[in-house]
Amino acid sequence: MPEEIVFKTEADMPPLPMSLGTTLVNKTGSWRYIRPLYMDKTPPCNNKCPAGEDIVGYLALVKEGKYKQAWELIKQENPFPGVCGRVCPHPCESKCNREELGGAIAIHTIERFLADWAASQHLGVSASKQRYDAKVAVIGSGPAGLSCAYHLARRGYPVTVFEALPLAGGMMRVGIPEYRLPRQVLDREIADIEAVGVEIRNGMRLGANLRMSDLDDYDAVFIAVGLQQSRKLSIPGEEAEGIVHGLEFLNRVHRGEEVQVAPRVMVIGGGNTAVDAARTALRLGSKATILYRRSRAEMPAITEEIEEALAEGVEIRYLTTPIEVLTESGRVTGLKCVKMGLGAPDESGRRRPIPIEGSEYTLEANTIIPAIAQELEDGSWKLEDGSWKLEAGDRRPALSLAAGLEVEGGRIVINEAGATTAPAIFAGGDAATPFGTVAHAIGSGKRAALAIDRYLRGEELSGFPPIEEAVHAFPRDTSPIIVRFEDLNLAYFEELERMAQPQMPVEKRVRGFQEVNLGFSEKDAQAEAERCFSCGTCNLCDTCLIFCPDVAIARLMAPPYPVPLACLNGAGYKVNYDYCKGCGVCAEECPRYAISIEEELKWKK
Amino acid sequence: MEKVIMGNHAVSYGAKLARAQVIAAYPITPQTQIVEILSEFCADGLLDAKFIKVESEHSAMAACIGASSAGARAFTATSGHGLALMHEMLHWATGARLPIVMANVNRAMGPGWSIWTEQTDSLSQRDTGWLQFYCESNQEVLDTVIQAFKIAERVLLPVMLVLDAFFLSHTEEPVDIPDQELVDSYLPPYDARYKLDTSDPHAFGALVTPDHYMELRYKIQQAMEEAIEVVRQADREFGGDFGRSYGLVEGYRLEDAEVVLVTSATITSTARVVVDELREEGHKIGLLKVRMFRPFPVEDIREALAGASKVAVIDRNISFGHGGIFAEETKAALYNGAHRPPIFGFVIGLGGRDVTPASIRGIAEYTLEHDVPETEIIWREVKK
Repeated sequence: MPEEIVFKTEADMPPLPMSLGTTLVNKTGSWRYIRPLYMDKTPPCNNKCPAGEDIVGYLALVKEGKYKQAWELIKQENPFPGVCGRVCPHPCESKCNREELGGAIAIHTIERFLADWAASQHLGVSASKQRYDAKVAVIGSGPAGLSCAYHLARRGYPVTVFEALPLAGGMMRVGIPEYRLPRQVLDREIADIEAVGVEIRNGMRLGANLRMSDLDDYDAVFIAVGLQQSRKLSIPGEEAEGIVHGLEFLNRVHRGEEVQVAPRVMVIGGGNTAVDAARTALRLGSKATILYRRSRAEMPAITEEIEEALAEGVEIRYLTTPIEVLTESGRVTGLKCVKMGLGAPDESGRRRPIPIEGSEYTLEANTIIPAIAQELEDGSWKLEDGSWKLEAGDRRPALSLAAGLEVEGGRIVINEAGATTAPAIFAGGDAATPFGTVAHAIGSGKRAALAIDRYLRGEELSGFPPIEEAVHAFPRDTSPIIVRFEDLNLAYFEELERMAQPQMPVEKRVRGFQEVNLGFSEKDAQAEAERCFSCGTCNLCDTCLIFCPDVAIARLMAPPYPVPLACLNGAGYKVNYDYCKGCGVCAEECPRYAISIEEELKWKK
Repeated sequence: MEKVIMGNHAVSYGAKLARAQVIAAYPITPQTQIVEILSEFCADGLLDAKFIKVESEHSAMAACIGASSAGARAFTATSGHGLALMHEMLHWATGARLPIVMANVNRAMGPGWSIWTEQTDSLSQRDTGWLQFYCESNQEVLDTVIQAFKIAERVLLPVMLVLDAFFLSHTEEPVDIPDQELVDSYLPPYDARYKLDTSDPHAFGALVTPDHYMELRYKIQQAMEEAIEVVRQADREFGGDFGRSYGLVEGYRLEDAEVVLVTSATITSTARVVVDELREEGHKIGLLKVRMFRPFPVEDIREALAGASKVAVIDRNISFGHGGIFAEETKAALYNGAHRPPIFGFVIGLGGRDVTPASIRGIAEYTLEHDVPETEIIWREVKK
């Protein structure tokens, strides 16, 4: 204990009421019954990204102007930022807390900016120094297959991808129109994948010139063949001349074939393929109409795509279902349709369309493009007793195909590790998961890559998150707590309008296949990233330190920081619990909910 | 550099030249321009200071107290009701011995609602332990801001400089804006002896029992008394460096003066003209300008009035139930002295009403004509 100071006269005293002794002896931490903890929470964008990107992390880097690191941070998890920045339906933006204060952050446009910037700088991804002997075969070079191959190659496995078509990319190449995804963007990102050591062999179709027995040398197989078969309308007249299925139509256009479309095109369906087909037909000179059996609200296509299609002059007839193809000497002349009403919600949560009796009417059409759904191709598989099996002769001991691949509901059955019912065979993408987006396929390929890595090293395949959740190639702490708008301290954020990327004018874009969206400039990308709240993620803003009434918070880092500011995860500050009396001001004041309060029940036994 | 600027901006330039480090303020007419231009100086990087927008004058002073406690040079400005709202914090600044400087633009208190000049707002803060200076010109305003920091930091007491609404605040005059280097050499950076310091933490502002409270008050009064010499020295030094000095009081044509007018602030300038005229007419009249109101310069006033047979104090203020405040203070200053002439207490110009040369001539003539005042308060120009 310090000795007592006694003032004998006023001359002994300081001029103001203050202690002459230090207050350090008064350890006010003993008053505390709750304490603050630096604990990053999960931002809603990160939580929603099917590809497992650290969005808040790269937005923070963009704010700092560190585009290379930002791009590399995406590339750790996703080899396709240029593709996703253009075609992903960006579920990350759907729950963005910024929505309430000027609109969600335009995450996808920033991602696209980073990919385009990296391309302009000729940045590449480095190959792994680690080399494993075990080899992996990937069947299908869509987003799932290439993502799996990329992540395995980056871990040091030799990977060969077999692609049935003459060029790699799967649906990214033959499904998505060029005006949404210029092919040089795709080519560049596939080149990155090849640069890390992935071998792609095009023109190898499983069940035709590629058999499972050809894969004897491989220690694991990832099947990501997608859904290549278009579902039929199952209405009379469907075999008439003038009917072409959506994917086949797009495929032929994208392969550069001379495609003749009639002046009057009817597209049937409400998904992205339907919208893509209609916009493509429009660009080829037709008048295009989409027939959809439910209303706009239930339409599964990306909202922006629908809006762009309408702006370009595509007509959409809602609550309409075709019931018969009208023909004349074997050629399509029109469609007989029925009007629909909406009933109670079905198992998808959307209201079920019900035909209205006596509402039949006809529409004139010369070309009909059904685009209602895609199914697993049965060419290379053979159905036996409700399960699909590889053809006889393909069996080999190492892959133990005797058990066959179980298929249910039109998809290959996989567990949470992406493993099929056959040992050493994994599956993903649209062939095995129900999500139907590029980003989900990328996540699914990555999940399989992580599982195959474990499998080949003889580890258990347990502990994978449910198939709906993303996995991370580079493990990072993720809190189960997802930051809500009300968790933020709004005193620190002002309302700022979301920035829209420029678009090519409608009259110009309908005349060709030039890209519609034109992306952000560096200035726009920075400004848009600046709007990010950095939800749940400490970025050393010092608010806690400034507000701590006990000066019990110390900053542990000064620039230059060893990691992106958004990846500190609580390492930025230290609380001196000798003096922190648990007032909670730091947590209350934290703009972004990166500090939690924990109860300390010291009196409890 | 000479510039034609309004009194409010003379305050701002003074604070800038003094390198105030923290400025916390809330806008109020007729003061707002002072902090408006200071906020621009901060935003433009011309002044390296933290400008804190606050929600009230009480908070403005509280923020200055925090800043000054941490060793920063703190400045604020206010007026009338804003000053009244600060009242509690004014005591705090003194008790915590913080050398804060504040400009107060005199404004009459409402209701009746007024924005025009009157000294009652600042004089109401007489007992808070702030030094008070009443300025006569824009140049004096600028110079006093610089002097104020030097004085405050030496005696560890806050200083208020006061200027008339509109007659100074919004009136443009040529003002010499001294070079920064010169000001820097006159006013070195503030090096606080007692401050909040996380590397050497102490407790501040805690409960003080009757055992020690009185000693702390005694030390404040000691500092006030010490301030008289400190002000004199700071003003002399300023005169040496800048060629201008003002004194605690200033006598004008006091030689052989039988009647002395006692004034403060801008009324002084008007009175100078009237004194000149009356002198020409053969009257033995002089003028005493009281620049420093706290601490009250008792010795200087006794000395200046030693030859006067009658004293006329002109007050643009009133302490209800007693009288003009300068008059009462002057009476009290002379009472225990050797020479006690009759003191005439005139109250005039409240709420910003013009005090013209004719008004002052009237006051002088009344004093010349009467041996003693007819009443303790002599109201002038009240419409009866």
